[in-house]
Formats: sequence, structure tokens, C-alpha cells
Amino acid sequence: MNPNDQAPSGSEVSSQETAKVAPETTESGPSYLTVTKTFASWALTLDHKRIGLMYLVGVLGMFFLGGVFALLVRTELFSPMPLITPLFAADPGAQADLYNQWFTTHGAIMVFLVIIPGVPAALGNFVLPLLLGAKDVAFPRLNLSSFYLWICGAAFFIYVLFSGGVDTGWTFYTPYSTDTSTAVIPAVVGVFILGFSSIFTGLNFIVTIHKMRPKGMTWFNMPLFLWGTYSTAVIQVLATPVLGITLLLLILERTLGIGIFDPQNGGDPVLYQHFFWFYSHPAVYIMIIPAMGVISEIISVHSHKRIFGYRYIGYSSVAIAIFSFIVWGHHMFTSGQSTVMNIIFSGITFSVGIPSAIKVFNWIATMYKGSLTLNTTMLYGIAFIFLFTIGGLTGLFLGVLSIDTHLHDTYFVVAHFHYVMMGSALIAFIGGLHHWWPKMTGKMFSEFWGKIACTLVFIGFNLTFIPQFVMGSLGMPRRYYTYQDKFEIYHQLSTVGAYVMAVGFFMTAFYLLQSLASGKKAPSNPWGGNSLEWHTPSPPPLENFHGVPSATDPYELDHFDYDPVTGNYSSRTTAGSA
Amino acid sequence: MMHFFNPLLSHWATQTGPSFWLPAPVSNFADTVDGDFYFVYWVSIFFLVLITALLVIFMMKFKAPEGQKATSQNDHNLILEVAWTGIPVILSFMMFWYGYKGYVAMATAPSNAMTVTAEASRWLWNFTYPTNGAVVPGASEDFNEIRMGVRDGSLTPEAAAEREAKVLEKAGLHVPVNTPVKIKVMASDVLHSLFIPAFRVKKDCVPGRIGELWFEATEPGVYDLLCTEYCGQGHSLMHSKVVVHESQESFEKWLEVAASYDETLPFEQLGEIVWKRKGCVSCHSLDGSNKVGPTWQGAFGSLRQYTENGVAGSTTVDEAYIEESIRYPMKKIADGYPGQMPVVKLTDKEILWVTEFIKSLGK
Repeated sequence: MNPNDQAPSGSEVSSQETAKVAPETTESGPSYLTVTKTFASWALTLDHKRIGLMYLVGVLGMFFLGGVFALLVRTELFSPMPLITPLFAADPGAQADLYNQWFTTHGAIMVFLVIIPGVPAALGNFVLPLLLGAKDVAFPRLNLSSFYLWICGAAFFIYVLFSGGVDTGWTFYTPYSTDTSTAVIPAVVGVFILGFSSIFTGLNFIVTIHKMRPKGMTWFNMPLFLWGTYSTAVIQVLATPVLGITLLLLILERTLGIGIFDPQNGGDPVLYQHFFWFYSHPAVYIMIIPAMGVISEIISVHSHKRIFGYRYIGYSSVAIAIFSFIVWGHHMFTSGQSTVMNIIFSGITFSVGIPSAIKVFNWIATMYKGSLTLNTTMLYGIAFIFLFTIGGLTGLFLGVLSIDTHLHDTYFVVAHFHYVMMGSALIAFIGGLHHWWPKMTGKMFSEFWGKIACTLVFIGFNLTFIPQFVMGSLGMPRRYYTYQDKFEIYHQLSTVGAYVMAVGFFMTAFYLLQSLASGKKAPSNPWGGNSLEWHTPSPPPLENFHGVPSATDPYELDHFDYDPVTGNYSSRTTAGSA
Repeated sequence: MMHFFNPLLSHWATQTGPSFWLPAPVSNFADTVDGDFYFVYWVSIFFLVLITALLVIFMMKFKAPEGQKATSQNDHNLILEVAWTGIPVILSFMMFWYGYKGYVAMATAPSNAMTVTAEASRWLWNFTYPTNGAVVPGASEDFNEIRMGVRDGSLTPEAAAEREAKVLEKAGLHVPVNTPVKIKVMASDVLHSLFIPAFRVKKDCVPGRIGELWFEATEPGVYDLLCTEYCGQGHSLMHSKVVVHESQESFEKWLEVAASYDETLPFEQLGEIVWKRKGCVSCHSLDGSNKVGPTWQGAFGSLRQYTENGVAGSTTVDEAYIEESIRYPMKKIADGYPGQMPVVKLTDKEILWVTEFIKSLGK
């Protein structure tokens, strides 16, 4: 690889650091984790792996917080009568307000702080340069700044929690958000800052993928995860500014009384919905496309078989990214936008379903006649295909205008987007975390507990959300603090499911942490993958590779020999890493 | 174009009671919506079963110990790609088409439809019947109390039913059976959304806009009416009822009773009800702001400049002037206003109440 392609700042710092600490890097030399040990060497690091790891810790912390609020919401809904809100507030009105803050906080944290940065910023940061055989992303300083912007945004959310919460729903719909007395402005400022974090990451990835591919890696032999992160990055850069502007307008309306969305001042609330969904619909794909990229890697590697229909999967990522910009109106079928617009948006909405279907069928075809290692990672991959299928198919109901009129803003919608965002995007994130955990930490986790936890999460998830489909189509509206008795049984099943899922996630946290302390040492290639990250030690050295790797065919997976003693897959024909 | 499937669709949608998935179908749209629902449902079930079966079979059949080679590295098949692109394209076009047909019918109210206005505000409904201007409340508080009463055991189901019937005498959205009804939806503060699950209809109530939905109820009965757009603290309490009357006559009889006044109320309160029901509200404000006509705040006893047959004059606003202005609105036109007030036929009692109401708004 041409050294001029490298970001000057990144290589400068890394070569200085390695020179100081490890004059001779060998197979057993220091990894990026141990090369320097001071706090500053982490806080000010320009190494994409450390930044990715810090993102990971932050995102998982926020996932815990958002999960706590989810459990509060589900616990409260176990009964239509006030159940746990009376523990925190005496007045019935204040109890309802509290519930409203809980679901708002859950939604906002999970969307803006967990799922959007989850795969791209945490996993992507770690893996993307490795997949490219590069030393770092194109702009390491920008990369660090996006992490601190994320921290800043998260700090605003924490501040909101301690300053009375926010109760608008994660969508901040006007005129309610102009009108409510809760901490809308700090929350919106937080989202605004997180938007920049997301834009910076996207920009960085676009440039990195364009400019830093190794010799011999064309667009069509990139690992599909890169197709996914690239498509995502384009959406991040193009759509996020619209959200930023919208939220600024909302702040102006709240502080200065400028009438943009509030009809009291001559504004239009439906305009807010157009602006909001112009970002937030593509944002759904910011969450799901990179997740699909992860799944393409997992399914192929753990089936030890070439990915089926490479080009179709790659192109379908791009197709979804493009279509994602022109379907936002399907969030507004009942808002009173014109009949003609509704019909057009409905038609285009179905076009997003096709590339998603293509991906699912190609993943399944990849498994056909493969050699399936049914480990924890693969189970997450297969769980994803099942859950995403349900998420996609239930989306069809909502795209059909006549049916959506009935289902809009009911629990059916809640269940649908949880199947897509959690059952798909988040499950892929957890799957990816397991897939790359040995590479990140150099440790193997317990497959035994991993499989049990995955099963619990899978069962708990379906138990939580399948009843929500039923009560939704029976007419249970979303965002309800109390409900009619006839829905009680569905809510109770759902709450039980949420707790089962929580047990699964706690188990996951436990065995992953335990692996850090006493896990088996990970070989460089524990799964038999052939993309470049498996051609360097686990964990990788600071500069990622000893020497300059050249492009491999990431899906040529049948030339490895498995060594049961070390658990390593080594190549028969070539010498593994360079 | 796809009428071939209609017999199948109607077969799936012939249920009359509530099913596992959907509430009892009681409007002209229910059969269409449910037919579309079950079409998508069975397509989805087919693909879900297919995909799940493939996943499970492959997991069993191709499970292998670590290190075993895959028996094939085949990575493409054009026929398969075309099939699993083409079939979803065709199916999703059919879904779009059914949805479009159903939706266009929902979006186009017949011209002879009876119109009722539904106004949402935090956290209540008001229904206005234009035939006699009756404003009927949604009575959400009553319905929530009844629900809670049944739950904590203080109300037996019979007592609850009795109380509900009593409340519905003067509350709720009432419509005759088999009659097209158009609901104009509005909101006075934040977003709300009017949802009647049994009718499969829903429309957002957007402040500053007038939305529209219509339906024809097909079964007499009492059905839920809910708010489905988040509106804050009392969102889940905006629960009212739709009453479908078995005949036009019984509906009209109800309307007459609902439109009658509770004469035990103080006159100024009755006047306020008249102000709302008879539409004075749309031109005369109570807060000093100028609309099409003068505000009523501080109007009583004030000096009013007017023009009568092109001649300027002035008078103190008193009982006589108010009554004259209601009975002959175009006689004395207050200066600065366009003089567009229609003749609103009020009874003597209503005029008395309105006058007392205006008096109560300060001098």
C-alpha cells in the first residue's frame, strides 16, 4: 500500500509510540491494548481500535441505561392500574407524566445513543481499517472528535435525566414539544451534537473506503460489511444535517417564539413531521444497513462458505440507501397529507422491501451446503434472519394504505419497529460483538453460556413483541399509560418476555467480562474468516498488521486447516498473515 | 385488475365477531381492510414458514464440527436471484394495489354524508352536530371512572352498563346505522388522533387544520373511540364511545334530547353553551381579541359606534341592543367590522342566557 495514502497524523503518532515502546514488533509483541498504559494514552488516542473500544463501552453503558427504562415501562404496564409510578410520585397526573418520561427516555437513548452509533461507530471503527488492511481511518483526529461529541451528547441526556426528564416521545413532535414544560432544549441540543458525531464518522468512513483500500481490493471484492458501512455513511452525511436544522428551528420556536411549526404562531405541525422523518426514516437504515453488513460476514464465515449473491447483497445495500430518502411520508399516512402523496409514498415504500427480501434469501442460500458451526455468533446470525423476516413482513402491513389506517400509532407499529431496530439492528450488533470479540480483546468467551444467553434473548424477545402485534391490531394505541382490561393479558406476556430478555443480556455481560479475566487466549483466526482482520494477531498490534497486507478474497473460506489445540484456522496455501 | 382474488379475500373477512387479530368489523370499510390484512397476513405466514423451515433444516442438515469443509462453494444462481426478486415485486405490487383501492374509498366521502365535527383538546373530545348545533362531550372522565370502578369492584358489570347508558344519553359520538357519516376532525392545542378500531378509521387532529374521515356503521352498538397521537399526561384517558343507533329516528330522538339544555344551570353557564353550540364562538372571542365580530369581553355597558343605513350613530351595549343585534344582525353594523353576521335563530330563553353570559364577562 502506498504510504501516502495513510493519514499523516495517524501514522506519525503510531510510529512514534511503537518506536518508544516496542522497537521490534513480532508476533508476540505488544498489542494495541498493552502498547501504552496511561490514561492519556487512551483519552487522547488516535488509534481507531481504542476509539472503537471506548465507543463500545459507552454504547453498552447507554444500552444498559436505556434497558433500565424499558424495564420500568414494561413493569408499569403489567397492570392497567398505577403499579410502580406511585413509588416515585404521589399525584396521579405526575405518575402519568413520569411514565411518559420513561418511554421518551428509553426511545431517545436507544435510538440516538445506542443503535445509531452501535454498529458503525463502535464495531465499524474497530473493524473498518482492519478490513481494509489500513493502519487507521483517513482522519484519526476527526474520529476522536466524533467520540467526544458522542460523550457530549450523552452528557446532555444524563443532564436531562437529572433535570426533570423530557416527555415528548423520541420524535419531539410539535406543537407538544413547543408547549411542554419539560427539558426539551437540553435533549434536543444533545441530539443535535450527536448528529455531528454521526456526520463526522460517516465522512471519515466514506473517505477511508474510497482512498485507503489495499492494492488489489476493488469495490467488488470488499467485504460486504464495507458495502454496508459505506451506504450508511452516505446516509449519515446527507440526512443528518436536516435533523440538525429541524431541531435548531424547534429551539428557536421554543426560545424566541418564532412560528415555524406551532399553528398558534402561524406555523405548521405537519411541516415538522416532514422535516423530522426526512432524517429519521433514513436513520432507520443507518441502523439496519450496517447490521446487515455484519450478518453477511457472520453467516458466510460461520458457514465456511462463499457468500451467495455477493453483488446482489452489495447493490441492495445501495438500493436501500437510495430508496430510504424517498419514503419518509409513510410515517404520516394519517396526518392529513394529501391522498395523492399518501399513494405515492405507499408505492415507493414497497420498493424498499424488495432489496431486503433479496438479502434474506441470499443469506439463506449461503447456508445451503455450508459447514455450519453453530456457535453463539452464528446463532445470533440465524436469530437475526428470523427476526428481520418478521420485522420486514410486518412492515408490509404498514405500507398498505388501507391497513395502515387501522394500524397506525398502535402497538402493531411498536412491535414492528422493535423487530427491525432491536430484533435486527441490535441483535446484529450483539452478534458482531461476539464475532469480533476475540479480535478486540484477544480472549475467547464461553460458548456454553453464550448459547444459553442467546436462546434466552431470542425467546424473551419474541415473547415481548409478538403479543404487541396482536393487541395492536386489536386496537391498543401506543404511548398509553393505562389501558382497557381486555389488553391486560397481552401486556403481561410482554412484560414477562422483557424480563427473560434482560436475564439473557445480564448473562451476556457476565460471561463477556469473565472472558476478559480468565478467557482462553484467542488465536488470530478463531472462526476461519479470510478478510484481512483475521490475518493479524488477536488483539492486533498498534499498527494493525506486521508488514503491509495485500487484499485477499474475503469469501474464499475453504483453504483453511483447523487446529483443535490452538483453535486456530490457518491457511494451507499461504502463510496466514504477511 | 386483481378481482380474481376477491372471492378469497372476502372469504377470509367474513367473520362477524372479533377475531384473534382484529376487532369486530362494523363499518363499510372493515371488510376491505380485513381482506387486505388477511391477504398480507397469509403471504407473510407463507414466507415466514418457508424461511423458518429452511433455517431449521439447514441448521440440522449442515451442522458440522469445527474444521469440516463445506461441500459446495457455489455462490450464485441467476434463476434463483430472478425468482426471489420477481416474486416479491409482484406480491408487493398487489399489496400496494389493494391498499390503494381501499384507501381511495376511505379518502372520498360521499356528498350526501351527514357531517359531525370532532374537536380534540387536552384531554377531551367534543362532538358538534350541525343540524341543530348540539355540542356533545366525549365524557372521557365518566368512561374512565366506570372502567376503574369495574376493576376495583365498586361497580358490578350491570351497574357499569347502566351508568354507561346514562352517560351516553348526553355524551359520545352518535350516528345512525347504514348512513354515511363524515367526521371533521380538529384540535385546539396539540396533535391528537381520532381512532375507532371497530370501524378501521383514524385521522390525526392537527391544530390549525381540518381533517376528514368518513364511514358507514353497519351494526348498532357501542364502540370505543380513542386518541392515538401522543398528547401528554392524559393521552391514555381520552377514551370515548361511538353509539350506532339502529335507525335514523332513534338517532334524531337522541339528538333532540342531547340538544336540550339542563335548565338547572346558572344562566351565564347556559349562555356559554349557546355561544358554543350556535357558533357565536367562531366570530366572537372572550379574551379581547378581535375576530370577524367584536369581542364579548367587557362588551356589556361599553359604548359602541355603529353605522345604520349609512348614518353613523352610537349606543351603550345593553340588553335591548344585544337582542336587536341577534334578531336583526345587519341593522346596526359596528364600526371596524365587516358586518357578516348571519341570522342565527335563537329562542327567547337562549337570547336571555347569552345576554347574561355577556354581562358576566365584565364591563
